[in-house]
Amino acid sequence: MKETDILIVGAGPAGLSAGIAAAKHGAKVLVIDENRKPGGQLFKQIHKFFGSREHNAGVRGFRIGEKLLEETEALQVEVLLGYPVYGIFEDNLALYGSANGVQSVKAKKLILATGANENNLCIQGSTLPGVMTAGAAQTMVNLHHVQPGSRVVMVGSGNVGLIVSYQMLQAGIDVVAVVEAAPSIGGYGVHANKLRRAGVPFYLSHTINRIMGEDGVQQVELVELDHFKPVPGTEMILDADTVCMAVGLTPMVELARMAGCQMVEIPSLGGVLPLHDEDMCTTNPDVYIAGDISGVEEASTAMEEGRLAGIAAAEALGYLSTECAAQEKDAIRARLNTLRSGDFGQKRADAKEQIVNYFHQGGKQ
Amino acid sequence: MVPNEDEIYVCRCEEVTVGDIKRAIAAGARSVRDIKVRTNAGMGVCQGMTCRKNIERMLREAKIDLDVCCTHQRFTVRLLNVNDLTAITNEEGE
Amino acid sequence: MERTPGIPTPERLEQGPVACIECVQCIPCNPCEAACPQKAITVGAEITALPKLDGDRCNGCGICITRCPGLAIFRLHKHYTDTTALVSFPYEYVPLPEQGASVRCSSRDGAFVCEGVVSSVRTAPTFDHTAIVTVEIPKEHLMDVRGIQRKGGQ
Repeated sequence: MKETDILIVGAGPAGLSAGIAAAKHGAKVLVIDENRKPGGQLFKQIHKFFGSREHNAGVRGFRIGEKLLEETEALQVEVLLGYPVYGIFEDNLALYGSANGVQSVKAKKLILATGANENNLCIQGSTLPGVMTAGAAQTMVNLHHVQPGSRVVMVGSGNVGLIVSYQMLQAGIDVVAVVEAAPSIGGYGVHANKLRRAGVPFYLSHTINRIMGEDGVQQVELVELDHFKPVPGTEMILDADTVCMAVGLTPMVELARMAGCQMVEIPSLGGVLPLHDEDMCTTNPDVYIAGDISGVEEASTAMEEGRLAGIAAAEALGYLSTECAAQEKDAIRARLNTLRSGDFGQKRADAKEQIVNYFHQGGKQ
Repeated sequence: MVPNEDEIYVCRCEEVTVGDIKRAIAAGARSVRDIKVRTNAGMGVCQGMTCRKNIERMLREAKIDLDVCCTHQRFTVRLLNVNDLTAITNEEGE
Repeated sequence: MERTPGIPTPERLEQGPVACIECVQCIPCNPCEAACPQKAITVGAEITALPKLDGDRCNGCGICITRCPGLAIFRLHKHYTDTTALVSFPYEYVPLPEQGASVRCSSRDGAFVCEGVVSSVRTAPTFDHTAIVTVEIPKEHLMDVRGIQRKGGQ
């Protein structure tokens, strides 16, 4: 059995940032990720990020990923890739896969940075080849350089839907529609404007009714919505060979559940997630969380939350003094507050504050 | 062609349809686990990553109060082959 | 497009090339501020504030165009010739248009506005794969043209 100070599950932006922050203060860190490559979703983010300089604003996502990997390597953080963590048991014992079968590791502290998984829609034809989540299409185009199709209908106009639509255009694919059930666009106006300038039609107050085709997607039926209810007689048919679903993400909380972390339901952050305090510590004092598992946001906030969890865990193990930790944590929280401000961020800031309040009230919702 | 909702697949790994879930609820299923036991939904390779949320939504639409915040989660959270599983058991037995 | 503090005044447009920042939502973002060597763009400590353009300081260099993650900054040169104006915009598609080519210029919603000629295509390592394309167009379309229609695209 292996032993480590801190076991981090997930080598995405949150997990790697947590590992770097904790290792910098001398903690022994092990990061495990079921994917064969580290970086989570960062390496498919080919667009320039928002934020300010300390958030790497203006830098393309994959370059931020490269920087994280360099730091991870420089600090000699051990990263195991390609095998999942199967479960967490008493005394922070975790079982994980390896080429030599299942192995166990005992950690003093755990940081769960497992991320989120994409929602889908259950509609007629949604199992046809050519229907996929937006993230899957993004992986095909940006990592594997394969076009999923030639005419895409994007369902959902949040930032994921908008960004992936733009990247489809960049890959030479036509986006024939961005469909949004709400009466207004969900994501940033500047992302939407890139698509508008390219002539992509937006169908607001519309949903996708069904997908038709023999051996794959051939046609997509849209219908207009009135207060989210379909209006009969407004059905229209578009020719398309690909449907991308960008209809939200849900935190991956299975391991947190196994670790006995108390949960709370916050629909605006993706649904059920572990209660946590301002240090990202859950109701299990040995388990911290960071990134999308603690509420679906974006890579910049995930990295800051990772740093916060990494410092808090290292502090709990005595690797840095309370004063020193407080100083670093305050700086991180200030940067998080900046990212969670403005027209879009304030709602997330409020929801995050609500979670911390529930935590201190003993989990009463 | 009028869409027949009951024929839509919810769990594509185990080929469980909306109709199957509706029948399970009508027969008394009150939780995701009940649905799983009755229909096998969520037992496939993706372990409910795709269908779980949609099943929860259907249960809620049927006015079933779900305690989704309960912390229960059984081992294992990912597919694990029997060889590897027995290897763990043996190690514990030693 | 409502009046935002990043849009140059009509008077400033008369005076030569100038940046036009079409950033209309309070999102946390400020690389444009640091990008400007003339310090003509101000966001401030609250980085969700809309960028404010100081038309007197802006010399229309266009460095800010590729620094905006939202691709929302343009450069406008109203009196390039007696009859034509220049519009520069960020461009992240391949292939890049060729200098001297006739192109179909389009509006903010992608609709055809007028024919134009590609006056320059600038790339640089510091642009990080965002090119700056400049088109020469009839002057009256200065405030409408914000891009070009791609061949084979929509």
